[in-house]
Amino acid sequence: MSALAELSTLPKHRRLVNTVTRHAVSLGGAAAIGAIALIFFYLLWVVAPILAPASIEHAQSYDIDGERALLLEANESGEIGLRFSAAGDALFFDLQDGNKLSELNLAESARSVKRAYPGGATYAVLTGDHQLALFEASYPVSFEGDRRVVKPSLQAVFEDWVDLGEVRDFDVAYDDFEVTIVSLEENTLTVTHYRDAEAGYPLEFPRRGEISLDRSYQRVLLGARATWVYLLAEDGTVEIFDLRRKTAPKQIYLGKLVPDGSAVTALEPLLGRYSLLVGDDSNNIAQWFLIRGEFGYTMEHIRDFALDAPATRIVPEPRRKGFAAVDAQGTAYLMYTTSQQTLAKKELGSAGLVTSSIAPRSDLLLTSNAGGTINAFALHNEHPEISWSALWSKVWYEGYPEPVFSWQSSSADNDFEAKFSLMPLLFGTLKAAFYAMVFAVPIAIMGAIYTAYFMAPSMRRVVKPGIEIMAALPTVILGFLAGLWLAPLIEANLAAVLSMFVILPAAVLLTAVVWIRLPSRLTQRLEGWYGLLIMPVIALAVGASFWLGPLVETSLFGGNARAWFLDVLGLGYDQRNALVVGLAMGLAVIPHIFAVAEDAIYGVPTHLVNGSLALGATPWQTLARVVILTASPGIFSAVMLGLGRAVGETMIVLMATGNTPVMDLNIFQGMRTFAANIAVELPESEVNSTHYRILFLAALVLFVITFVFNTAAEVVRHRLRVRYGNL
Amino acid sequence: MLKERQTSVRSWLASGEPWVWANAAAVGISVVAVAGLLLLIAIRGLAHFWPAEVRLINFTDQFGQAQVAMGELADMESLTPQRYAEVFGSSDPQTEIVQRWLLKTGNRRYSPPDFQWLFERDVSSIEYPEHAVVLERMEWGNAYGFLVSVYDGDRQVTSGDLWAAFQQRLERARDIRLQIEELEQGTLNRINYQLERLRLERRSLEFAGESASHLAPEEADLNADYLVSESQLRDLYTSLQRDNIELRLASGRVVTTNLAEVVRAWRPNRMSLADKLGHYMSSIWLFLSEQPREANTEGGIFPAIFGTVMMVLLMSVLVTPFGVIAAIYLREYAHQGPFVRLIRIAVNNLAGVPSIVYGVFGLGFFVYFIGGNLDQLFFPEALPAPTFGTPGLLWASLTLALLTVPVVVVSTEEGLTRIPRAIREGSLALGATKAETLFRVILPMASPSILTGVILAVARAAGEVAPLMLVGVVKLAPTLPVDGNFPFVHLERKFMHLGFHIYDVGFQSPNVDAARPLVYATALLLVLIIVVLNLTAIMLRNRLENRYRGVES
Repeated sequence: MSALAELSTLPKHRRLVNTVTRHAVSLGGAAAIGAIALIFFYLLWVVAPILAPASIEHAQSYDIDGERALLLEANESGEIGLRFSAAGDALFFDLQDGNKLSELNLAESARSVKRAYPGGATYAVLTGDHQLALFEASYPVSFEGDRRVVKPSLQAVFEDWVDLGEVRDFDVAYDDFEVTIVSLEENTLTVTHYRDAEAGYPLEFPRRGEISLDRSYQRVLLGARATWVYLLAEDGTVEIFDLRRKTAPKQIYLGKLVPDGSAVTALEPLLGRYSLLVGDDSNNIAQWFLIRGEFGYTMEHIRDFALDAPATRIVPEPRRKGFAAVDAQGTAYLMYTTSQQTLAKKELGSAGLVTSSIAPRSDLLLTSNAGGTINAFALHNEHPEISWSALWSKVWYEGYPEPVFSWQSSSADNDFEAKFSLMPLLFGTLKAAFYAMVFAVPIAIMGAIYTAYFMAPSMRRVVKPGIEIMAALPTVILGFLAGLWLAPLIEANLAAVLSMFVILPAAVLLTAVVWIRLPSRLTQRLEGWYGLLIMPVIALAVGASFWLGPLVETSLFGGNARAWFLDVLGLGYDQRNALVVGLAMGLAVIPHIFAVAEDAIYGVPTHLVNGSLALGATPWQTLARVVILTASPGIFSAVMLGLGRAVGETMIVLMATGNTPVMDLNIFQGMRTFAANIAVELPESEVNSTHYRILFLAALVLFVITFVFNTAAEVVRHRLRVRYGNL
Repeated sequence: MLKERQTSVRSWLASGEPWVWANAAAVGISVVAVAGLLLLIAIRGLAHFWPAEVRLINFTDQFGQAQVAMGELADMESLTPQRYAEVFGSSDPQTEIVQRWLLKTGNRRYSPPDFQWLFERDVSSIEYPEHAVVLERMEWGNAYGFLVSVYDGDRQVTSGDLWAAFQQRLERARDIRLQIEELEQGTLNRINYQLERLRLERRSLEFAGESASHLAPEEADLNADYLVSESQLRDLYTSLQRDNIELRLASGRVVTTNLAEVVRAWRPNRMSLADKLGHYMSSIWLFLSEQPREANTEGGIFPAIFGTVMMVLLMSVLVTPFGVIAAIYLREYAHQGPFVRLIRIAVNNLAGVPSIVYGVFGLGFFVYFIGGNLDQLFFPEALPAPTFGTPGLLWASLTLALLTVPVVVVSTEEGLTRIPRAIREGSLALGATKAETLFRVILPMASPSILTGVILAVARAAGEVAPLMLVGVVKLAPTLPVDGNFPFVHLERKFMHLGFHIYDVGFQSPNVDAARPLVYATALLLVLIIVVLNLTAIMLRNRLENRYRGVES
């Protein structure tokens, strides 16, 4: 037709309008596909970086003055380096060009410099003559005209030096006006503790605890929050003392961290100092942490990381539970504990490292060799926390007695180990959907059968729009009623609600029995109105359930249903639980299943029905053996659509569950679903962080699940339409 | 006999009669459940505004002391011995079932708590004192008591009717409050807005390296205006706080309340039915027209209504052309082949994608990606404070437009299908081009079904909350998205929404008990809007169904 119109001699502008309209409309049609593709690819684009590999690249070398470095450090922004040297100097240098910025002499000579626990820019310097002091680096930013200038400075935290004596090793914690110094001598461990240590004033009134040791150790390390201390020997022996009473250390554990015959080649604590990373001469790095069990504390061997050669150096990341390792052949590795993976590997090409560190943002690795040359390596390692096993398998998190599935994305602590297991969320999603479907599928399909096949046309004209309005009810209202009205109601009348599941069907059956006794002249004409007739019965049955509730509770559940479930079946009760969600979300899903199933049943060609009836089948036999069978693909597709709804529903689960990510099949416990989790956490998540991308991944998973369900439903429905057409 | 019975049972089962009843029950349950829920919302929502009687209850407390409490009856409950034991730790020896009442005693800040449980058996007498006064306060909820005296400044009002004197001064305070509001929302708001605009203009000139000195005089003028208005405002506030009343509480304590703190006052036990109806209507009006107070748990929901309407309007403007064009393509232009099937599947999938996924997409794509880039390009002077790179009205509307496209497409397509082929062919035969047929014949004929689609889309969008939580809704928006400042409609602003209001007040508010009636009222409003919209759409569609039947035959 359009070809005809174009052939004719139309005025130019009419032809133009016609062509433009055609193209515009086609564009609009393509936009529908464009939109769905855009959503999918955008989600994928955000998620993709968590799959990107990490890398280590050599960035720069600095030859400053050849002095031997004791400790290297980069500031927060990665612009300025700080080097403590054996000559007792502290030097700030520009990480862009290696230029000296400022230098400060702290002492005649320095023996050792350590970062004070728990991090930040505080350093403990031990001089050649056993004096110890704390220094804090700061990097104030100012503007000279438009130019941003950072003027680094280093200042003593307290006014005086502390004499440690002839020590093998020491460690320092400085936090919340408390300083704890542990020092190790030949056969003695000394704890020095200062309370009310205020910066800028002298350190006063030390309290000392001392304990003599049976063995000889080389290293001393404070544990988390300075509440315990590790003593470590080269053969892997570890002894742990409880430091909660600083003046009286108490031994809580003695054991070995490497197999007999092996030796420790490198050992560092992981961020937070709950875990120790132990490298031994069998090319292995093992993670160990302390667990409090029934019979006291034990060090548990958690996981291993394989290297090509024995590790000589382990460098923990300052903000994450990851670390870099360098082996005896000079190869560097980036590894991450939670996800148990080696992310990147690189030949450093410089041997004899004396110190190394990772910048606060984990984007820079600084190393220094014996000759004083400093090398900087750029690290690209944005999302090390994620691996297949971290998302979907049980993971042994720090402080847990065993590997678990856990979702806990954030906490107030800085040294928190994020737990990104998607299993509890997947479980919660399926649990909520399952209970909703258990409730919704029978009601929706049976309702559809009755409406399509038996119901009087005049009633159908009212019921169908009624169900449509039910579909339009905002889920926020259903959720609000479920959370604030239904949940307390069920909690207070649990027995009544449970007895409803028996009383209601019984009442319906009773109605059927009574009905058959009535004169058939009356009953036959009313078959189409059963749906209406049954309503008062339902209302009565519900009322009876509540009336009988206390009786049922007394006779069956010993007077208190919730206590009975806990005591007898071991089922704990949450006020907002899967039963509430099942009922509320079921109600939200029913109209969606109903609409599609009703269409499918109603659309079964009448000659099939008439044929069956003509052969002598009763209407019910016709329905059960012909109609439902023919319509079954349509019913299946209705269930798929309903499942898609239930999986993605947000507000009801958000409001009617406690949103606790537990994995428990118990119908009286809550859950957290993907959708609710996104709604709760995405607004507070930092853009482009791992957490943000995982939430997008959750959205992508939801998208894909519903896409599959919907497409399957659509394909089935299409084939059904074709079949109806052929019949 | 028995055998006959058995066969009759079997034939009864075979006839499927019990199954038919079971199926009928399924319909019945759905309808009863929905109707019950709607009824529940309606009753609770509407009851909230009724001026309930104030009871003065004398009772003995658990220590045997005589006590008195005054307030409105909020709830009643019967406790079984087991429940009693659960709540109080030991069972009550005397009775089987114990009745208890929840009394809303209000008077927060004077005598907490504001709700009190009383056992019926402890009550010795109930009175309905005629002079009991209910004060609706700006803060702290209602107060219940008896009016003792009225102070005009420092001077006690002695002459005449005390209540009338109180009402008169309340009227005056209300007028002043209106003036304050006008000044704050009008003049001061305008001055602040212009000062902010000047600040941004200055920054953007500085970025460009140009002098911004010519802005100084205007700035000085505005600052001077500001000072004038500010002193006016201070005077108004002082004058607002002039009057006080003294209120005697049920406990006998006398408290002084400043009239600036009182919104309304009434004496429910003296009111006639007509008075109560009047009060009821004015309560509903205040609920619909006022700003929320007390972390949204009191006052009105006007900003939420306004925000919902704005968002929905903007969404309709965006979704209508897109949905209609897609439907026209599917029905009128495309060759019915695999590509069209693909589009159909895409549209169906769009309808089935969970709404929260749209929210995630909207936040990532519209807000951070498009919005962030718009800010870089057009609003660099405001950075790092985002203009469009943060959730807001525009992004929320766009997200919901995307979400409701399938609704419009499906409805429009249905309408297009119903237009008989003969009409199209007639138009073409008369020499019209395809485009002309479309614009002059088909679209006008399909317009009711397009309208149906848009109405359904609006109903869907009005009730949707999950995606909005990510792309622009807030619990309390300081300003409406429309005001007197150029360009009048501020698409970048955050807004309030009825559905989110329900979630927020019901689940995030500190005093859920006090807020619950308000949530029911809000829910009722939202349900009403959505049911009315849906019914309109259904009626429109039913009318269309038979419209072209004559043409076809």
